[in-house]
Amino acid sequence: MSQIQSQPQLRRPAKSLPRRIENAVLSVLTLAAALVWIFPLYWTLVTSIRSDENVAGNTSLLPDEFRLQAYVDAILNTRLLTWYFNSVGTAVIVTVLVLFISVLCAYALSQIRFPGGGLLYGVVLASFMVPAQTLVVTQFILMKDLNLINTWAGIILPQLIAPVVIIVYKQFFDSVPKEMREAVVLDGGGEFTILFRVFLPLNWGITTALAIVTFIGVWNAFFWPFLVVTSENMMTIPVGITQVNDAFGVAYARLMAVAMLAALPVIIAYIIFQRRVTEAIMISSGVKG
Amino acid sequence: MGVRLSSVAKSFGSFRAIEDVSMEIPTGSFAVFVGPSGCGKSTLLRMIAGLEEASGGQIAIDERDVTAVEPADRQVAMVFQNYALYPHLTVFENMAFSLRLARRPKDEVNARVGAAARILQLEEHLQKKPSQMSGGQRQRVAIGRAIVRQPKVFLFDEPLSNLDAELRVQMRLELTRLHRQLGATMIYVTHDQVEAMTLADHIFVMKNGHLQQAGPPLVLYDDPDNRFVAGFIGSPAMNFLAARITARAGSRVTLSVEGSDHPFEAEMADASAIGSAVEIGIRPEHLRIGSAPGLAVTVDVAEELGDVSYLYTRTASGKELVVQRQGSRDRLDGTLVHLSADPKHVLVFNGEGRRLR
Repeated sequence: MSQIQSQPQLRRPAKSLPRRIENAVLSVLTLAAALVWIFPLYWTLVTSIRSDENVAGNTSLLPDEFRLQAYVDAILNTRLLTWYFNSVGTAVIVTVLVLFISVLCAYALSQIRFPGGGLLYGVVLASFMVPAQTLVVTQFILMKDLNLINTWAGIILPQLIAPVVIIVYKQFFDSVPKEMREAVVLDGGGEFTILFRVFLPLNWGITTALAIVTFIGVWNAFFWPFLVVTSENMMTIPVGITQVNDAFGVAYARLMAVAMLAALPVIIAYIIFQRRVTEAIMISSGVKG
Repeated sequence: MGVRLSSVAKSFGSFRAIEDVSMEIPTGSFAVFVGPSGCGKSTLLRMIAGLEEASGGQIAIDERDVTAVEPADRQVAMVFQNYALYPHLTVFENMAFSLRLARRPKDEVNARVGAAARILQLEEHLQKKPSQMSGGQRQRVAIGRAIVRQPKVFLFDEPLSNLDAELRVQMRLELTRLHRQLGATMIYVTHDQVEAMTLADHIFVMKNGHLQQAGPPLVLYDDPDNRFVAGFIGSPAMNFLAARITARAGSRVTLSVEGSDHPFEAEMADASAIGSAVEIGIRPEHLRIGSAPGLAVTVDVAEELGDVSYLYTRTASGKELVVQRQGSRDRLDGTLVHLSADPKHVLVFNGEGRRLR
């Protein structure tokens, strides 16, 4: 005890007043931004548990009713479950295919020397700079010519272009010491052994993070599925929400109930994988990796 | 013959990393490739492993031409400087990796990994991940991974460079014991000539992609072929002085050293002309300290190591010479002393650095 008392310089210095004020202001601003961000979600939830008659003109911020009728109506009177199935199906398939194709492409670009490798990587980088909207007309014509309108393949194929996933994987593979690859070669392993038994298991975190980002991106995708699907049976949830108005007329509670159900998987995924999602966003935005 | 290289060459674009290197490494010997950074020693090792393709020449292991054979089929195993262990696998899985790839039966895998673990005293660590082990233990796992493959040739690429000095000495001894125990051919690359001297049966000294000299450590130390080998092997390094041949009597020549009245004598049958400019080389332990006559030098710094001391001296012309003394503990800092050497320990090199014998 006496030793501790004799070394006061080891104690953490108290924060100065200006520093404490600065921290307090930053905390208030962060809290305000968080409230602004979460308010629409909160308002959607509050509206969805009201009756439709109680929605119009109701400006009460607090939930004054707890009814699940809007959810029951939404599930029973729309094709929500079909849309769920379509969304889950296409999102899983796109995620698996994007990761598989990108990992192979990135591995080849990073580890295998072949003529035109540099040029190919240049093309990948260049494609990163092309806005997806500029490709929409061409892709639509292509899908139409291939008779893929109103099919899962039509929804999935154009979404397989994911240069950012290739770039993140390539950066990761570039950072693996070359001796690791050589050790596998000497142990008798080929390229697939190097990739799937050594390189990828070195950091499953990257694959998990990219899978989450890709899945959420596809789940939330609206523009392309909206264009390529006209049949209600093939719609994904974001597109399906547009049909709710048709089914119920102006019925905000039910509309919000569908919106809540649509967002639910993403909200659950975010809560479970919160840290991984943050990592993924940082990796794919080039902050890290 | 364990490994035979015949006129092996390697180019990277226009850069010639290895030029016309031929060597023979006997079966069961411990060969060390040594040389400064960029001399091509690691490239040569990687060519034997098959990780670099030879631009020319032939590589044979156990009299089998392996020049175009895949690395995994050469029956070699390599230990890397940074260990290159698979961090997501346990020690057991690391060591068993090659056997599992080759689909060896489970019993055989267990037996071979177990035997290697016993040799390297890793038995209690088999379920650990590499990250839970110290540097020395990791290096032992890397060696274990090589042992389980039962290769004809072990290749070591500066395996001790990442270890601290004490552990390096310990691992050096362990490698020597391992070599005796396994009796396999081992090729070891290092830039540390002390490692080379202590480990090798045969040393291959390299410089700028060329083999300078090959032979047992003490032959290279006592009888170097050129100035580079003379200067590279030995610590502290050999002293060199510019000189001129002034007289000859049979196989003994007299040499005058620049900036000194004191001549040195050397044993040399080579018929170089009187008056030729040469360089003489004398190892620190072969310089004797005495009173005049002798090469006058001033002692700058004396390093006392207990059993031995090193005197860092300077001639009148400013040339630095290191002298090794054994036994005596007189403080000589700042004093003027005179140096002489036995003619049989004075080596003579011509202008191109070639040894004149």
